[in-house]
Amino acid sequence: MDQTELKSQIKRAILEELDLRGKREADIDDSAPLFGAGLGLDSLDALQLAMAIEERFGVAVPEGEPARAVFASVNAIAAHIEQAKAG
Amino acid sequence: MLGRERIAITGLGVVSALGSSSEQTFQRACAGERGFVPVDLFDTSGLRSSLAGQVLGLDVAAIAPRGEAADWSRSDALALLAAREALTAARAPATEPLGLVLGGTTGGMYETERALAALPAGSIEPRDARRLLDFPLSVSVERVARVLGSVVHSATVCSACSSGAVALALGASWLLSGRVGRVLAGGVDGLCQLTFTGFSALGAMDAEPCRPFDVSRAGLTLGEGAGCLVLELESSARQRGAEIVGFLSGWALGSEAHHITHPEPSGARASTLITDALRTAGLAPSDIDYVNAHGTGTVQNDAMEALALQRALGPDASRIWVSSSKAQIGHTLGAAGAIEAALSVLSIQRGALLPTVGLVEPAAPSLRHVRAPNQKSALRAALSCSFGFGGACAVLAFEAPDAEKRVLPAPQRGSVVVSGAASYGPLGLLTGAASARYLEADTFAEAELDPLTLLDAERSRRFGRASACLVATAEGALQSAAVTPAGTGLVVGSAFGDVTRSVQFLQKLFDRGPKFASPAEFPQLVASTGSGNASLYLGLTGPCLTVSEFATSGENAVSVALALLELDPTSACLAGAVEARDAIVDAVLGGGPRRRSEGGGFVVLEDEGVARARGATPLARLLTHFALRGEFDAGLSRLGAPLAESLLITTPLPVEVEAALARSAWSGVPRRDVSSKIGFHEAIGAAALACAVAQIAAEKCRLALVVTSDRGLLYLSLLGAPEEAS
Repeated sequence: MDQTELKSQIKRAILEELDLRGKREADIDDSAPLFGAGLGLDSLDALQLAMAIEERFGVAVPEGEPARAVFASVNAIAAHIEQAKAG
Repeated sequence: MLGRERIAITGLGVVSALGSSSEQTFQRACAGERGFVPVDLFDTSGLRSSLAGQVLGLDVAAIAPRGEAADWSRSDALALLAAREALTAARAPATEPLGLVLGGTTGGMYETERALAALPAGSIEPRDARRLLDFPLSVSVERVARVLGSVVHSATVCSACSSGAVALALGASWLLSGRVGRVLAGGVDGLCQLTFTGFSALGAMDAEPCRPFDVSRAGLTLGEGAGCLVLELESSARQRGAEIVGFLSGWALGSEAHHITHPEPSGARASTLITDALRTAGLAPSDIDYVNAHGTGTVQNDAMEALALQRALGPDASRIWVSSSKAQIGHTLGAAGAIEAALSVLSIQRGALLPTVGLVEPAAPSLRHVRAPNQKSALRAALSCSFGFGGACAVLAFEAPDAEKRVLPAPQRGSVVVSGAASYGPLGLLTGAASARYLEADTFAEAELDPLTLLDAERSRRFGRASACLVATAEGALQSAAVTPAGTGLVVGSAFGDVTRSVQFLQKLFDRGPKFASPAEFPQLVASTGSGNASLYLGLTGPCLTVSEFATSGENAVSVALALLELDPTSACLAGAVEARDAIVDAVLGGGPRRRSEGGGFVVLEDEGVARARGATPLARLLTHFALRGEFDAGLSRLGAPLAESLLITTPLPVEVEAALARSAWSGVPRRDVSSKIGFHEAIGAAALACAVAQIAAEKCRLALVVTSDRGLLYLSLLGAPEEAS
C-alpha cells in the first residue's frame, strides 16, 4: 500500500470510528493535530482510535503518554503503522 | 415556619461480595477484608482484570418463586434478598402499602447475554429474540413487587453510578408528599459482560485490586450486589414503635453537563451539590464526621472528588474521616449509592470506621483518610457521594438515630404548570400547541425524518437514533418553555434501551473477543444514555435520569419528575419519553394489529409561582397525575366530573379499563385515540400527553384527561387551561 492510500484509509477510520458526520477526508489535514483544537476530539476518541487502528491495520498503539506522539497527526499515525509493519 | 418531618431509616438490607446481609458486609468491610475473586460467570480472558466483587453461591432458583426460576435474573434475586432483609429488620406489617424504588444500570443484562450467546449464529429470528427483551431494567422492581404483594407505587431509576442514591432521594420525596407511608428504596446491579468489557475498553479497570485515593491508583474493580433501606416519616416510625437506625437527613441531585465518561476536573458541580445536601439537611460542614466517598479508584474520579470535598467542606475537610467502600466490595454501579448509604448508616450507628483498603500513599494527603481497619470513632453525621457517567451526581446526608431534632427546611411546591411541550412523530418535531394536529380529523403525509438532521452534527456525533430522537424532542420542549437549562432537570422514560446496538456490541465481543470492544460505544449502551446525552447536549445541570416501566415509562417519568419538583420546586423539569425504531424490538413486538412507529413527547413541568416569576406563559396546568394498579373505578372517581369543553385522550386501552371508563363520569366525553394518527410504540403515552397539552394551549378544550395503560397499570393525567383553578 502506498502512503497516500494508507493516509486515506486512516482518515476514513477517523471519520467512521469517531462518527464525524458531515466531515470528509479532505477536511483532515495530514499534518494538523487531531486532538485538542483541530477536530475537537477527546481522550475517549483516542481510545476508540487506538482500538480501530489495531483492528483495521493490525498494529497496536501504545497506551498512555506514548500514544500522544502517535496521534499527533495523520502523518504520525501513518509513520507508526509503517514502522510497526516494517519492524 | 413549620419544618419538614425527618426521614427515619427503620431497616437495612445488603447483599455484596462480602456477605449476604448488611451486618456481615459491614463487619467484614470494617475489618478491611476484600471480596474480590476471579469472576467465574463468564470468560474474562483478554480483559484488563479478571477480578470483581462477585456474590458467590447466589442460587437464583432457590430465591425465585416456585416455577419462575428461569425468568429471574441474578439482579432480581439480589434485589429480593436485600429487600427481605430490610423489611424484616423494619418489622413493618407486611400488608401495609409500600412504595418501591430501585436504582440500577443493567437489569438482567447477564441473562440477556446468556440468551444471546445461545441464539443460532447470524440472524436473529423474532421467536428466538423475544428472550432478549425479557430482562429490561424494570424487571427487578416488577418481580420484587409481585413477591412482596403490598407495593402501591413504584419506579426504576437509572442515573448510571448514582442510581441507588437517586432512588433514596425519590423515596424521601414520596414520603414528604404523602404519596405513600413507607418506602423500600435501594439499588441493584449484577455483574455482566457488557459492563465488564466496557470498563476494560475504557481503560478504567485496574489489573490489581482497586486502590481508591492512592497515588498509584489505576482504575476500578467492579462488584455486584444490592442495597435496600426502609424509609418512613419519623412520626409514623415512632408511632408504631419501630427502631430507628438512622436518618436520611439531606439530599442533592444534579448533573455536570460536562462529558459522557469524564468527571468535570475541578469538581465545581459536585462541590455545589455537597453544599446543597448539607443545606437540605440543615447541617454545616462542622456537623459532619464522615464521608463515604464515591472513590472508584479511577484517576479522574478520585482527583475530582478530593477537590470537591475540600471546596465544599473547607477547613473541616482535614478533620472529617473519608473512605471508599469500593476498595472492599468493588464498584457495584447502580447499587453502589444504596449499599454505601446502608454502610454509612451502620458506621454512624456503631461508631465504627470503614477503611479504604489498598490506600498506601494518599494522592490528597490533606483529606483524613481511614486507612487502618477496625477503628472506632463517634460519628454524628455522614455524607455519601455518588457520581455517574454523563455527570449524574447525587449526595446524601445521614445522621445518628439520637440526632437532636431541629427545624428542617421544607420546600413548598405550589401547583404545577406545563411551561413547554414537544412531540416527535409522523409529522416530525412539533413544539407547543402544534402537536394538536394529531387530534384533528384531517389526514396527513408522514414525514421521512432523520432525527440527526435536527441536531448539531459535532455535539451529537456519538448519538444513536434513539438518543437523537430523544434529545431533539427534549430540545423542542425546552425551547418552547424558554427556560434556562442551568438547574433544569430531566426524566426520560425508556422501555428497553438501545437493544439492537447493545446486541451488536455483544455479538462482536462473542465473535472477536474483548480486544476490539468499542470504548466509545459502551457509554452509549447504558440505561441512562438518553438522559446523559440530553444533559450534555442541552446543558441541563439539574437531576437527569432515566426511568423504566415498559410502555408506561414516559408516564412514570412524569411521576418521577413531580417527585423531583417536590424536593426542589425552584427548578423546572423535563419529563417524557421518545422511542426510536429498533430492529430487534420491532421484530419481537411488531406483527400485531397495531402499526408500529417511532416517537414520543416531552413536557416541561414547573412550579406555577416559579414559572410566573420568570415571566413564562404556561401552556397548561397539570391538575393531577397518578398511577393505579387495579381499583380503576375509584381512581377515575377521584378526578371529579368533566367540564363542558373536555376531551378524553387515550392510547389503546385494555377491556377492563374501557369498562371502568364507560362506568365513569367521563363516559360521554369526546374521545381521541392518538395511536390512530401516531401509530404505536412504547412512548405513545408521552406523545398523548404532549398532544393534550397542545390541545389546551390551542384553546381547543379546557380540560383534557389522558388515559393510558400497560401491564395492569393505569395512568390518569388531568390537564386544564392555565387559568383553571387547581
